[in-house]
Amino acid sequence: MTEHLETTVDKFTFRVAKDRFYTAQGAWAFWMKPEAPNRIRIGLTDYLQQRSGDVAFATVQPVGTQLKEGESIAEIETIKTMLELPSPVSGTVVEVNPALEMTPEVINEDPYGDGWLAVVETTDWDVERMTLLEPDAYFSAMQTEAHEELKKQ
Amino acid sequence: MSAPQYNADVAVLGGGPGGYVAALVAAQRGARVILIEKERVGGTCLNVGCIPTKVLTSATEFLVRAKRAGDFGVSIPQVAADLPALMAFKRDTVDQLVGGVEQLLKSRKVTLIQGTARMIKPDTFSIDDGKGGRQEVSAQRMILAPGSITATPPIPGSNLPGVVTSTGALDIETVPARMVVIGGGVIGLEFACIYEALGSQLTVLEMTPAILLGATDEAIAKRLHLMLRRRGMDVRTGAVVQRIERIGETLRVFSETNGAETATDCELVLIATGRWPNTQGMRFSELGLRMNGRAIAVDEQLATNLPNVWAIGDAIGGWMLAHKAMVDGRVAAENATGGQRQVDYRCVPNVIFTRPEVASVGLTEAQARAAGSKIKVTQFPFSANPRARILGESDGMVRLICEGGSGRVLGVHMMGPHVTDLIAEGALAVQTGATADDLAWTTHAHPTLPEAMLEAALGFRDAAIHIHSR
Repeated sequence: MTEHLETTVDKFTFRVAKDRFYTAQGAWAFWMKPEAPNRIRIGLTDYLQQRSGDVAFATVQPVGTQLKEGESIAEIETIKTMLELPSPVSGTVVEVNPALEMTPEVINEDPYGDGWLAVVETTDWDVERMTLLEPDAYFSAMQTEAHEELKKQ
Repeated sequence: MSAPQYNADVAVLGGGPGGYVAALVAAQRGARVILIEKERVGGTCLNVGCIPTKVLTSATEFLVRAKRAGDFGVSIPQVAADLPALMAFKRDTVDQLVGGVEQLLKSRKVTLIQGTARMIKPDTFSIDDGKGGRQEVSAQRMILAPGSITATPPIPGSNLPGVVTSTGALDIETVPARMVVIGGGVIGLEFACIYEALGSQLTVLEMTPAILLGATDEAIAKRLHLMLRRRGMDVRTGAVVQRIERIGETLRVFSETNGAETATDCELVLIATGRWPNTQGMRFSELGLRMNGRAIAVDEQLATNLPNVWAIGDAIGGWMLAHKAMVDGRVAAENATGGQRQVDYRCVPNVIFTRPEVASVGLTEAQARAAGSKIKVTQFPFSANPRARILGESDGMVRLICEGGSGRVLGVHMMGPHVTDLIAEGALAVQTGATADDLAWTTHAHPTLPEAMLEAALGFRDAAIHIHSR
């Protein structure tokens, strides 16, 4: 069972899984070691999915696509926004979540589990993971952002 | 201009939307006009095409909305289609519109001759009225508008009872529990949505790798495909139909996808694999008329290789669309009465009455990229458009293909509520060379669906207002 950090802002509760890395934009990167030490599973954080709303369509770069860290790995269309998710890592897409086509709502229902987007075979993981955020670093950045958003409303 | 030895200044062969418009415009310009039609005026469009299918589209959309009435705070306890009444409404609508065209022809003093024509000289038709009567009609100028016929691929079993073309699918006596549509193009998918709304379980078998190939932007076609599948329509691409067999009361359609054969059972099969120019049996090639395959070859003024003979509409191939034929008709009528007008096919809107609707004009993203232009694609979802939300139809988007730099609108593609009407603004933009900025600074009324066009245009400068950005 994945452990989470959890915070409640206004009436929303946001969770951050403790077993993976993050980008400031709200992507997570799960290192699939030991069974696949070069593979990283990628998804959207709970905070980002809640802020973006119900996902209507999720289009992930097809298997075989080579991308650099920061390039868009998925286009997410929700009922209120269109979101391009920058990839947290460089490498080749080797797997796309097949559930997204018919039931993209899995992203909202289980953002850290069944709602994953893709698996990337990385080329530069040892270096790139240094630039990613640890769970508590993302957690505090996310909390700050969530409180600022609340003030704007 | 009329020479006395001729029966008319201009004779038009075929009274479809191309032919009757050509006749009306030639008459408006002072010519004595004869229009030859073997059935009723209005052609495929009015009698067995656009108009009757749109009656069914509109009625079934009504049905689907009525079933969702609760979503809008309206209670309708019982909702059901009344097929005999629907068929009567369809017939009445067609009759009224055909009657309207006949009246127009009469008021412009166009002589309508009923019968099947063959060309016996480049300036003379022999017309058989089907009751043993035959007459010759000569004219100084000829406009050929014989239209198109349903293409019938050589599929074994396609003549079995229960296997129909679009004309047969218009007459609905009972709703089949299961239906297979062969062809995932415009006609196939429109009928699939009609029968789906009436309660049939649909399978669509498309031979090419994508639905609506060539009819709209690739991204829109992909999105529609996904939406149809999500609501339970089995739409398969790359599926080549091998044969149809009848087993008792059931029709079994065998198709092959990537070498694997599947059998699909149903009660009704619709073959909707396109249309061919109707150019056989009129002695065109015998008289030296230059053909381009089945189509009549024409130049930019729609002139054929024969002097004083023009050709228009479906018979010249290309876009087989009523409104394109109508523009052809206007161009040919002008040129047959002293004009020098050229056709311009850069801006021919294509409208597809699926649920949701799809509409396109100008270049698709792939076409624009292939043409080597530097482009920017900008889109806006109907889910962020208030009017679409009020209508309860927020699926879909407006997509603009713009020239990089200038922002000139090269193509407009839409899926969503009433986009077959909304595309008119896109056609105006493409035709007049408008830029995304022109559209973005045109005040669009609120709350209306065209605001999605405004927002997509703002997106050219990454400045869409009513969408969250990150």
